[in-house]
Amino acid sequence: MTSNKNASANDSSAERFYEQTWDLQYKHALGRTVSRFLDGLAEGKIWGRRTTDGRVLVPARSYDDLTHEETGEWVEVANNGVIEMSTVVYEAFNGLPKPPYALAYVMLEGADTALVGYVKGLDLSVQSVAIEAVKIGRHVHVCFAKTPTGTAADYWFELEATS
Amino acid sequence: MINVGIIGFGQSHFQTKRTDVTFPELVKEGADLALADAGITIKDVDAVVYPLAPDALIGVGNGERWVIDALGATGKPFMRVNNGGATGMSAVLTAWTHVASGLFDVVLVAGADRVSESGSAQSVLNKMWDVGYERTVPLNTITMLALSAQRYMHLYDSDETDMALVTVKNRKHASLNPYAHLRTPITVEEVLASRTLAWPIKLGDACPASTGAAGVVLVSERYAQRNNLKPAWIRGIGQNSETYWMGARVGEKSQGDHADADALAHAFDVAYQQAGITDPVTQIDVAEIYAPFSSVELHVIEAAHLAEKGKSPEGLRNGKFTLGSSGPVVNPSGGTQCTNPIAVTGTIRVGEAANQVLGRAGAHQVPHARVAIASAIGGDHQFYSTMVLCSDLEEIS
Amino acid sequence: MSTKQLGIAVIATASVEIHHETSKSLEEMIFETSKRALNSLGLSADDMDAFVLGGNDQIDGRIISIMPSTGPVGGVNHDTTMIASSSEHALIYGYLRIMAGQSKRVLVASWAKPSESVDPDRAELVAAEPYLLRAVGMNETISAALQASRFLNGNAVDADEKFVAWPLTRKDLPGRGDSVHVVILAQEGSFEVGSQFAWICDAGWSTSSYELGARDLADFESLKIACNQISQRNLDSAPENWNAVEIGASSEYAVRAIHEQLPLKADVVVNGTGSLSTQFTSPFVLGLSRMMRAIDAVKNASTPGEKYVAAGIGFNGFAGQGASVIVFSNIKDVDND
Repeated sequence: MTSNKNASANDSSAERFYEQTWDLQYKHALGRTVSRFLDGLAEGKIWGRRTTDGRVLVPARSYDDLTHEETGEWVEVANNGVIEMSTVVYEAFNGLPKPPYALAYVMLEGADTALVGYVKGLDLSVQSVAIEAVKIGRHVHVCFAKTPTGTAADYWFELEATS
Repeated sequence: MINVGIIGFGQSHFQTKRTDVTFPELVKEGADLALADAGITIKDVDAVVYPLAPDALIGVGNGERWVIDALGATGKPFMRVNNGGATGMSAVLTAWTHVASGLFDVVLVAGADRVSESGSAQSVLNKMWDVGYERTVPLNTITMLALSAQRYMHLYDSDETDMALVTVKNRKHASLNPYAHLRTPITVEEVLASRTLAWPIKLGDACPASTGAAGVVLVSERYAQRNNLKPAWIRGIGQNSETYWMGARVGEKSQGDHADADALAHAFDVAYQQAGITDPVTQIDVAEIYAPFSSVELHVIEAAHLAEKGKSPEGLRNGKFTLGSSGPVVNPSGGTQCTNPIAVTGTIRVGEAANQVLGRAGAHQVPHARVAIASAIGGDHQFYSTMVLCSDLEEIS
Repeated sequence: MSTKQLGIAVIATASVEIHHETSKSLEEMIFETSKRALNSLGLSADDMDAFVLGGNDQIDGRIISIMPSTGPVGGVNHDTTMIASSSEHALIYGYLRIMAGQSKRVLVASWAKPSESVDPDRAELVAAEPYLLRAVGMNETISAALQASRFLNGNAVDADEKFVAWPLTRKDLPGRGDSVHVVILAQEGSFEVGSQFAWICDAGWSTSSYELGARDLADFESLKIACNQISQRNLDSAPENWNAVEIGASSEYAVRAIHEQLPLKADVVVNGTGSLSTQFTSPFVLGLSRMMRAIDAVKNASTPGEKYVAAGIGFNGFAGQGASVIVFSNIKDVDND
C-alpha cells in the first residue's frame, strides 16, 4: 500500500452520489370495519359508526380515539353535505397526482366527523374562481365509481348544482 | 425534583444541499458543535438521545443505529425519539427525563437532517395517513396545513396578507441569524405574488427543506454547580396529543378546531404552571415556536397565550412580536419558516431559546431576555411539545 | 441512590403473538391489547399520565408510526412519545419518566406486524446502510448467522441440516409473526400494594459500533456494559443474583454464549418460557417480549415472601449492536442509604 501525505484522498475527489430506491411492498390488513365501509362504496352508501357518547364517525372506525372505546351501531349517513375545509393544489409533488386538484373535508348529513375526498368536475384553471367554488359552506354530494376498486378511491365529491 | 439546564447549543449553517459529507458525518457535525459550545467532550457525556423523524427521508431503516459511531455514543445508553415534526424537541424532553431521573448528569441530544436526500419527500409523507381511508387522497404536510389556514381565515376574518406579515417578520429576523437557511428579506407584496403551492399557502409562506445538524447538551444542577456553569434552566415542560383524524377537528361535536391548536395550548398551560407563569404576555420575553408555514405561527402565538384567539394578525399589524418591539418577540431566529431540517428543528427551537436567556443570541438577541418559551409540532398537527426556559432559578413574577 | 425513592412496579400487561393477523388492522390490534391491559385493572386511558410507544415504520408500512397508533393506545389528550430505536427502550423510557417524578402511571406499547409487508425481509434490508451493507444483503438473520459462526469453536454442524443461513437452522432463530405488547408501569402509592406483577429493580442499556467488522460479535460488549451499569448501582440486581433470565438474542447460539459469559448462578433458569423459535415475533419487539416473560416469571414465582429476581435482555441492531437489561423482582429493593 502506498500513501501520499501531500495529496489526501478527500481533496482530489469529486463528490459522488449513490441512487437507491426503497421498493417495499405492503398488503395492509384493513380489518372488518374498514372493509365493510369500502364494500358500501360499491353500493353507493357511506357508512359511519356510532361512538359510546353518540357521535357518528365517518368514515367508519371500529374504535373511537377520544373516548378510547369501541364503536357500536352502523349508521348510514347521507350522500350530501357541506365543505368544512378545502384546498386547491397547484404545485406538483414527485409521486403525487398532477396538479391542479381540489381536496375537501365534507361533513355529510348525519355525520359528526368530516370525510376527505377530491372535489371533481371543477375548472381549476383560474385560482380565484376555484377557491371560491370550494369555499367553506359549499354544498356537495358524493359520487361513486362505476367500477369499484375496493379502495377509498371509489368515491369523490362534486358541487351541488344549486350552490 | 432535579433541576435541569442547557449548557451548550450548536448548529450548522443550514442550506439546501450538502454533498461534502455522508449522513453520519453530518450528525457528527451536530454533536461536535454542541459539545464544543458546552466546553466538554463526548467522554463527559453519560447518555445520548437521538432525534430522527421518518427513516424514509434519509433512506436507512432504524437510521439511528447507523450514526452511533459518528455520535460517539458507543458504550453509552442511547435511544431514539420519533414524534414526527416534534421529534427534535421531544428528544430534548426525553433527555430532560434522563437527567431528572437522577441516573445521568450530562446528556447529549444531537442529530441532523438532509431532507433533499429523498427526491419524493411529500409522497413519502403522504403515507403518514390512514392506510384504509386517507392515502388515496394526496394529503401531505402542505395540504394539511393549507386546510388549517383556510379555516383560520374563515373563522377569524383573516386574509393572506396576515400570513404574509409573519413571513416578512421572520425573514427580517433570519437576515440577522447567520445560521438560518432563508436569509433574504421579503416584502408583503412579494409574498402575495409568490406561486401558490396549495391555496392559501404560497411559496412565500412555506419553510425550506433544509440540510444541516444541531445539538444541545443538558446537565443536572449538581453538575452545573460542581463545574461552575451557568445553564439556561428548564423551568417547565409539556406534551400533548391531538386526534389523528383531521376530519374530527371540525363540526359542532369536535373537541378542537383544525384552525387552532387547542391541544398545544394545553401543553403550554402545563409548562406554564410548572414554571409559575401566570401572565404570559408580560412574563415571557422570547418565543421560539415551531411554525413551518406562516399560517401556523398565527395560531401558535395564540396557543401560547401571547394573543387572544384570532387576534395575532392584529398584533402583527401593530408591529408586535418583532425584534425591537415591546412585549414578547416571536421567532427572533427567523424560526422554522426560514430553517427546517425536520429531525432537529425542535432542537434548534430549544437551543435558540437557551441562547436568548443567556444573552448569547448575537445580532438577533432580544435585549435583557430572561424568560423564553419553545414549542414544536409533529404528525398531522397532532403532537405538541413545550418548554419554558429561564436564565435563573428565581421565581418568575 | 441517596434519597429514599418510591418503588416502580409493573401493574398490568397484555400481549398478542400470532403467526399472521389478517382479520384485524394493526391499529385494531393495538387498541384491543391496550384496552385489555387497562380493563384488567379497571382503569381507563385517562388514568394514565403518559404513553410511550415503540414501533418500526418499515415493518408496518407506516411512515410516522406514532401518528396512527396514539389513538389506539388511548394517547389522545395525553403526553405521548415514540421511542423508535427498540421496544425495550420504550419500556426503559417509561421507567425513567416515573423515576424523574414526571409521571405516576405510564402505558408502554410496542408492536410489529411483519404480515403487513409483502416481503418482510426487504423491510429489514433497508436497515443496512446503502453504501456497503445493503449491497451484500445484510439483515437480521444474516448478521445473526455471522455472530453464531463465532461460537462454533471447531464443533461440527450437521451438514444434513436445512440452513436458513449457515450455521443457523429455523429452530436456532427467533420465530416471526405479528405481535403487540402493552405494559402499565406505576409509582408506588398509585396502585394497591400486593396487586403489582413485579417491581422494577433497575435497568441498564448501552450500544456499540454499527460496523460489524469493528466489534467482536462473540463478545456482547453492549450487554456487558449494560449489566455493569446495574452492578455498579445495585449489586442485588446484578447477574449473580438472578433466578431467571429471559434473553431475546438473535439466535440460540447467542443465548448459549450469553449464558456462559455472564456471571450467572449455576441454577439460573435461562429462557424458561420457551425457545426463540417458538415465538411469533420480530426483531424490533423481541426484547420487550422477553421482558414480558421475565415479568411473568416473577409473577408466578413459586414461594411467596422469598425474593425472586428475573431479568429480561433485549438487543437492537445487527448482531446485538445495542443491548438492554431490565431487572424485575417480587420484592422491592431496600434502599441502600
